[in-house]
Amino acid sequence: MDIDMEEHNKEFGVLLKQGAEARVFESIFVGQKCIIKERFSKKYRHPVLDSKLTTKRLNAEARCMTKARRLGVPTPVLYAVDPLLHTLTFEYVNGPSVKEILLDFGLNGLVHERLDDIATQIGNAIGKLHDGGLIHGDLTTSNMIVKSGTNQLVLIDFGLSFNSTLPEDKAVDLYVLERALLSMHSSCGNVMDKILSAYRKASMQWSSTMNKLAQVRQRGRKRTMVG
Amino acid sequence: MKLFQITKESTLSLALFADVTNSRELVDSMQCGKLQPEVALLNAQLIPDVFPVLAAAHKALLSKSRESLTTRTLHSELVYNYSGSKHITESLKRCGISDETNYILAARFNASHDEMKDVEKLINGKEIDLADLEARADQPQILKHYKIPAQELAISSLSEAITCRISARDAL
Repeated sequence: MDIDMEEHNKEFGVLLKQGAEARVFESIFVGQKCIIKERFSKKYRHPVLDSKLTTKRLNAEARCMTKARRLGVPTPVLYAVDPLLHTLTFEYVNGPSVKEILLDFGLNGLVHERLDDIATQIGNAIGKLHDGGLIHGDLTTSNMIVKSGTNQLVLIDFGLSFNSTLPEDKAVDLYVLERALLSMHSSCGNVMDKILSAYRKASMQWSSTMNKLAQVRQRGRKRTMVG
Repeated sequence: MKLFQITKESTLSLALFADVTNSRELVDSMQCGKLQPEVALLNAQLIPDVFPVLAAAHKALLSKSRESLTTRTLHSELVYNYSGSKHITESLKRCGISDETNYILAARFNASHDEMKDVEKLINGKEIDLADLEARADQPQILKHYKIPAQELAISSLSEAITCRISARDAL
């Protein structure tokens, strides 16, 4: 395993994070600082199925990231896709995650203007995605970066992203964020209300999504299957 | 002329020419495969920055190393990749040069100094600085070719939008 990791470090750069689905490295792409996300193979799956699933998800992520940009939602610029090594290479976005910022608010006191700005940008971004028929799928505060210098909100990790125009999917997307905010950042007050009010302004189809969100809150993320 | 390191092994040399007068001959000799040294000639109006060209070059080298080039040569692959489209003929027509093109970006992989001197002799035009790309780019044509909507342009530069289309092409 040690030898294996060393090989990887040589090949892709410095390992930043390791998740269940992928490893994330920092590296250089034709002179630019970049991030390489490698979806590794799962040895417990049949090799044919494994390569099919990995390639499919790799391409889906590349598609969704670039679609988000076309909808006017900032995401890292995609530099390269390697279908053989199962890697995505994209722009290195410099700045803290929203999670870090909110946790810092909890420790060192709230900066209301900054919080309002971030919440508005989050609501705006999700509204634009949803109106374009794109669901992020993993809206947590650690998947949002506030770019240093411009304070622009950048959404990352489109690994669970998919296309859908159903109010159900949009509502669940928002619900996941609501739960994440409640469990991590309750000391910041009601951030979700601020996000939702920006969402209402940004999304044309806000009313059906909000109705659905009320239902989802009653029952949780999973739909009950009866009958 | 400027040299860029694309991978550990390979470089790309770029030279930009304005007021080119012999594009017809260049097209002819290229189509016969007689252009010496072999070089990629791109329609520079569609190029606002070198970065997307470097990304396209990276992609071409990767295909070459796996012997999975879509077009006949490494240099034509660069032109094809830069287009961000899967239509080869249309790509070469739009992002390559035609008889009337007078503004050209020449690119050659792993070129020696002498080879780039030969490329300069090949093209009858005035060599200008690569920094001029941005000011000389034809924005309306770029927006149309790469289908870049206004809301994307609000959050992205032309160069970034083109880079995304080049890299995501085969994922679509």
